[in-house]
Amino acid sequence: MTVSTAGRDWGVASACENVSGEVAVVGVGESDHSRASGRTSGEIAAQAVERALEDAGLAPSDIDGIMYAPFAGDQFDEAAFHRHFGTSHDMWVSKRGGGMVWAATAAHEAALAIRDGRARHVLNTFAVAWATRRSEMVGGPGESHAQELFKQSLEVPFGWFPQPVYFATIAKRHMYEFGTTQEQLGAVAVACRRHANLTPGAVMHGRALTLDAYMHSPVIVDPFRKEDCCLISDGGAAYIMSASDRAQDLRQPVVEVAGIGLGNSATGVHWAEQRAFTSTPQVFAAPGAFAMAGVEPADVDVLTLYDPFTIHAIMQIEDMGFCVKGEGGDFVEGGALDHDGGVLPYNTHGGLLSHAYVLGIAHVVEVVRQLRGEAAAQVPDARVGVYGGYTGPQASTLVLRRV
Amino acid sequence: MRPDFPLPDTDWEPTREYWAAAARGELAVPRCDSCGAYAWYPRETCEACGQSSFTWTMMSGRGRLFAWTIVHHAFLPQFSDAVPYVPGLVALDEDPAVRIVTRIVDCEPERLTFDLPVRVVFRPLSFPGIDRTVTAPFFTPDAQ
Repeated sequence: MTVSTAGRDWGVASACENVSGEVAVVGVGESDHSRASGRTSGEIAAQAVERALEDAGLAPSDIDGIMYAPFAGDQFDEAAFHRHFGTSHDMWVSKRGGGMVWAATAAHEAALAIRDGRARHVLNTFAVAWATRRSEMVGGPGESHAQELFKQSLEVPFGWFPQPVYFATIAKRHMYEFGTTQEQLGAVAVACRRHANLTPGAVMHGRALTLDAYMHSPVIVDPFRKEDCCLISDGGAAYIMSASDRAQDLRQPVVEVAGIGLGNSATGVHWAEQRAFTSTPQVFAAPGAFAMAGVEPADVDVLTLYDPFTIHAIMQIEDMGFCVKGEGGDFVEGGALDHDGGVLPYNTHGGLLSHAYVLGIAHVVEVVRQLRGEAAAQVPDARVGVYGGYTGPQASTLVLRRV
Repeated sequence: MRPDFPLPDTDWEPTREYWAAAARGELAVPRCDSCGAYAWYPRETCEACGQSSFTWTMMSGRGRLFAWTIVHHAFLPQFSDAVPYVPGLVALDEDPAVRIVTRIVDCEPERLTFDLPVRVVFRPLSFPGIDRTVTAPFFTPDAQ
């Protein structure tokens, strides 16, 4: 057998300027998270942004930088911001914000903009209304994948579509290469659900999940059950970044951006092309972020990961260096991910699996709340928190630290 | 979306030769004219040598089952009649880095194993409600 993840010659780290300690996350906000709400993503984002401003104690006119993603429909851009708040001031604008990998890397770009005096208070926001829009989307959130022409020609005709199908394939190969088990995938789902059950705003709040119930749930795409797959929900989140010295004068405890890394696969953008089929580019993202922050994986008090499927927790935990490659399955068992006593408290709000499907930006909000000491499933005395973002051919790591 | 989705657009230039070869009962992959490396998925420049001239080359159609899954739930309505089905990735013998996305046919899924020798078979790809069919490369366990 050939392990498909051997070696480190399949990707590279992006160069990131050292911005450690320059900026802090001074305000966070989430919209209501729900199943189909009938709202647009712009309306949802506006609610999250209002709450982030309130949290920071800033006025709309203080926000002079805005970051969002130029996809996923109706995003909250500078025009939407001005329309909603009745403002008209100049804003520094970046379309390299939003969720996924950008929920981490936005902090790097914002830090550079703040360093150069292009902005003082930078908002990053992302929202989706995919539960509301689901029936009009081809394959639900698979729609953007269905539009991709190589996938249309070489993958979709054979039914290797949408995301649950290709990530089940990756999970099955991971099980073969490393002995990962269905119970280990289940341990991730159960930990996330337990945290969501403690988090009032989580979509799956109040719906318990035991490992036994997980194992008795029908397999929909081998080896995945529905509990291995992220929610489809309406929701959004936002966070505001400011220079660390300004943050001292604002309302909240200072949570600084300590380290950022971005990793890239060099073997194409499609999953079938990934030479390291059972790894993620966290292999290249995490080391730089940890080095910039001056921390080791063992220093991390709370971890949130972009987790469309359970296998993404196991792969990224391995690839970020929390355990040896291939031992992620063993690592996540036995309550290791629990907020109260786990060796690596993980997705303490419930993640994409059980909290809300807002593509990672609520993960950053959760890390900030943990480091302030105000999370629902609080990790005692959390000082260092990490968000790992993922898109497939890219992954990112954001290290935050309570000052 | 095209009205015949999820059939492939066999006229789309980057993969036109793939589907034209399949229609002839051949499995073809672009090969760099300069260094001989296979380029999959099709791309504009060779990752091995940087040149940009390729010739679609007939492959043996033999390979190893790199990965697969069993799909029990139809995520697209067009696959409602197909479930359960077995999409998979085949690493070709000529270069295992070339992984063909396909469906495994003529085999009980329980009998599949990783790295199982497989060979290509060509079958019409059809979907309910779509008149057209497209000849496509499927794979099956290789008896030899």
